[in-house]
Amino acid sequence: MVSNRKKKYSTGEGAQFISRKAALKKLQLSLNDFRRLCIIKGIYPREPRNRKRAQKGVPGIKMLYHIKDIQFLMHEPIIWKLREYKIFNRKVGRAKAVKDFKAMRRYLENHPTLKLDHIVKERYPSFIDALRDLDDCLTLCFLFSTFPSLPHIPRSQSDLCRRLTMEFLHAIIEAKALRKVFISIKGYYYQAEIKGQTITWIVPHHFSFEPQSKAEVDFKIMSTFVEFYTIMLGFVNFRLYHTLNLFYPPKFAIMDNPNEGEKALADENIFVAERVAALNIPLSKTVLGGEEETEIDNFDMGENAEATEEARKEIESIKVLKTLFNGMKFYLNREVPREPLVFIIRCFGGEVSWDKSLFIGATFAETDESITHQIVDRPSMEKKYISRYYIQPQWIFDCVNTRNLLPVSKYFMGEILPPHLSPFVDKERDESYVPPEERALYDQDAVEQMHKEESEDESDNVEDLNEETEVDVKMLEDNNKLKLGVKAGEIEKEAPWVKKREERQEYKLREKMIKKKHRNLYKSMMNAKRERGKEAWLLNKKRKLHDQKEKVKNKSKKKLTIKQIIIQLFFIYLFQSLVSIFFIRNNQI
Amino acid sequence: MIPPLNEKKKRVSKKNKSSWRKHIDTKDVDDFLEEQRLEQRLGEPFAILKDEQLFTVDTAPNEKQLSAKEKKRLRLLAPPKCFSMLESHSKVPDPITKRNRVRTKEERKCPILKRKEIERKRNGILKYREKQRIDDKKKHDEKLKEAENDEFSKDIWEIEDKLGGDEWIDKVTKRHTLRGTGKLNKIIPRMQTGKNKHVSNIETPHPGISYNPSFKDHNDLLVDIAEKEAKIIKEEKHLNRVTKDVFKRVAAEENSASWLKEMSQGLPNDEDHNEEIEEDLSGKPYKSVNPPVENKKKTEKQRRKQKEQILLKESRLLAKQEKKKTVDLHKLKLIKAQIENREKKLQKQKQRKEKLKMFKSKEPKQLGRLKYEEPDMVFSMREDLTGNLRNLRTQGSLLTDRFRSLQKRNILAVTARQNHKKAKVKKFVKPGFNDNWKKSVANINISPTMK
Repeated sequence: MVSNRKKKYSTGEGAQFISRKAALKKLQLSLNDFRRLCIIKGIYPREPRNRKRAQKGVPGIKMLYHIKDIQFLMHEPIIWKLREYKIFNRKVGRAKAVKDFKAMRRYLENHPTLKLDHIVKERYPSFIDALRDLDDCLTLCFLFSTFPSLPHIPRSQSDLCRRLTMEFLHAIIEAKALRKVFISIKGYYYQAEIKGQTITWIVPHHFSFEPQSKAEVDFKIMSTFVEFYTIMLGFVNFRLYHTLNLFYPPKFAIMDNPNEGEKALADENIFVAERVAALNIPLSKTVLGGEEETEIDNFDMGENAEATEEARKEIESIKVLKTLFNGMKFYLNREVPREPLVFIIRCFGGEVSWDKSLFIGATFAETDESITHQIVDRPSMEKKYISRYYIQPQWIFDCVNTRNLLPVSKYFMGEILPPHLSPFVDKERDESYVPPEERALYDQDAVEQMHKEESEDESDNVEDLNEETEVDVKMLEDNNKLKLGVKAGEIEKEAPWVKKREERQEYKLREKMIKKKHRNLYKSMMNAKRERGKEAWLLNKKRKLHDQKEKVKNKSKKKLTIKQIIIQLFFIYLFQSLVSIFFIRNNQI
Repeated sequence: MIPPLNEKKKRVSKKNKSSWRKHIDTKDVDDFLEEQRLEQRLGEPFAILKDEQLFTVDTAPNEKQLSAKEKKRLRLLAPPKCFSMLESHSKVPDPITKRNRVRTKEERKCPILKRKEIERKRNGILKYREKQRIDDKKKHDEKLKEAENDEFSKDIWEIEDKLGGDEWIDKVTKRHTLRGTGKLNKIIPRMQTGKNKHVSNIETPHPGISYNPSFKDHNDLLVDIAEKEAKIIKEEKHLNRVTKDVFKRVAAEENSASWLKEMSQGLPNDEDHNEEIEEDLSGKPYKSVNPPVENKKKTEKQRRKQKEQILLKESRLLAKQEKKKTVDLHKLKLIKAQIENREKKLQKQKQRKEKLKMFKSKEPKQLGRLKYEEPDMVFSMREDLTGNLRNLRTQGSLLTDRFRSLQKRNILAVTARQNHKKAKVKKFVKPGFNDNWKKSVANINISPTMK
């Protein structure tokens, strides 16, 4: 017999893809349920290589899913829960329609619940994986925590978001993991480093809720994302708290000894939630003890010496950053956004408080004399204390980004602030030209250097004299050493350029080893770097020349001005004497 | 049958017992008896009863003032009104003293057994079904409570760390050990997700969107935006030039006139013209547009010549090919160069294709009907920058930003909001709705004189 003819699209790309409608039919789910399932399981539509073949010759553009993805979904046990939901809804609807409220209540009490724990584990097999994907989760949770109850977004969801995000901030405070902050017109950008993973998130500004237009965003979909992310964040929090030796759910030391709290707590949950939201009260620990400081070993790495040096520098600067505000006491005025500032100050070891009536958790009053900084965002204040600085909130953010304490003078109350620069700029691009004035804004060392240069010019003459005397002393020493004697053997020194040359050769070899795939990219990168360097060098040179010219001009000006003053004084004297003579004559007449 | 009033009574016989019964007036007796029965049913008439029997003097207040809600509760406890018809309202005792009645289940029980059951209950010995009921309730309550407290109470990654991290434990052993714990290591297929890895979750912010940017950064941002806008404007202009400006605007009448003219092209609309054609036709003989084909046969000579020509052509071609072979031997260098050239060209094409592919892989893919379009950049104008946090003006929305980012990373397909057009419903007022009933129904003539 002749074998059966192969049907079209039964193999290859035609068989690999399935349209959304077919997938719905296969999974026996409604479109809403399918969307929800896909978001929870992390399965996205695909773009085929050849759309015509993938759509089995059907014209137009359809949403396609990989057949393996759909088969993977088919094994998911929560599909049954989704079907249960369908039946549940039908039952409740019926009971409501026939006004059988007793049955309705019974159904509602026994509502099916989706458990997503296993899916979190499945999508993020290790804790590090979860951390790596935390950006979206945090941003959305922070955003949703500001929402009122909206259609498709239940109140409970925004409450849970609020709780979890605050708990996460506590974990960051305890771990001192914050690295960068940036105030943009969109919101606050934060970057933290946990277990070597950088996590970036955006927190909206604390203003009143702005309603969104429905046309732009599908709230139902976003709510589903948040539903999954809350579960994920909860487990991440749990793990983080346990690695930091904290209780989860968080506990406070006040709660441990109920004798101190005067009254019995009406609702413990609310009590804890308020304290957590205050961000100002340290959580009680499971194990008491200091942190272990890890130190980098001093190995001579040879080739990667530069990289290790850089890493060491980074670690050192982070060490400084972690104790940046240690021993400082801040007081927040009521016009200052409380949450971000408390979070940042507490992250780096400072103490904070605010007006008692503003929010729960204030620890000291404005009248406290030990306050070192008061953060103010208004042009002037009536009552001021001499013992503290009145600074604007940007100081905190800029200090964190530069990783050391900036001079306070530029941030005083009512002062026009220096620009708030983004810490999220590429390090590679730092090679571009920065005028010395701008550098002085952010770097203390640069300021010192500038001052030094100025003083050097002045003390040129003095140094010349010194050098002459030094030369004489050396001559004398040489004369003493000319006598015969046994000398200690000297180690033959390698010429410094030999080593350099070798290094250079090695570097070139390494360059040659770059894969063909990346070679062009590397080349263009290096070219751009070179170009930038060249430009910066050119500008620097121009600047130097310009400065020299200015200096000469200034000197001549100074001389000129002295001459002018003398001449002016002389003229004034002349004039006065003339006038006096004139008066005397008149009187005589 | 009632006799008419004014008719004189006929004499009737009362001979038999039955006829006597028929014509005797028993109304007074009946009335009496009726009254007596009523009395039996309802009790003695109020007229006979003394005041003390009818009324009581309320000296003490009610013990408890019931609220409306409590009254409602009490009313709910009372037997429903619908059953009141089934109860007996008469005070006449049941004439049948020993009425047969189905006893209830409780009554039917053996008294010894009943006593024993009570005793068992007192001792805490319950029936299986009752035990089960209590057990179920307990379990259900526990489950609910657990669900409440269960939120985030375990480390889901712990198990993996205990065993999964150890490279010395065999995969089979791992599965075996975990089998008892109820947590099987699920093998998840390693699938490629369609997620775009080239786009970071949160894109680095442009330094110009700082709330207090440096002049340079802000200027850079504005220049970027202006460039983009200029591109859009240019594109729009081009489209207008190509589409809108190609056609000139014409008045409606002129348009219809030209349409008519165009459409009636080639139609015989002038009568004079028609006549002329008819005249022409009458003068000449009829000729078809496609005259019939004649089947002309070739002569023998012609056929021979044709054959010869074909053969000659073939032989010439053969000779040419033979000649080319020899010539090609001398041309080897050139051919080699040509081949190399071609290969180079192909190589270049391939490279270009690969490059294009790489660039495309970084771009958001088209998952649905709509293509992803880069959203407008967020920026603030120079006059909006206040320089302090208190007077900050926010721009853009984080939610839209996230939504677009998900679309950019191929996690969501780009969709447009569906606007379902509502069907037009014809509205009309029902006759009589706006009617003045006084006029149409009551027919009252409302006039000032009537007042």
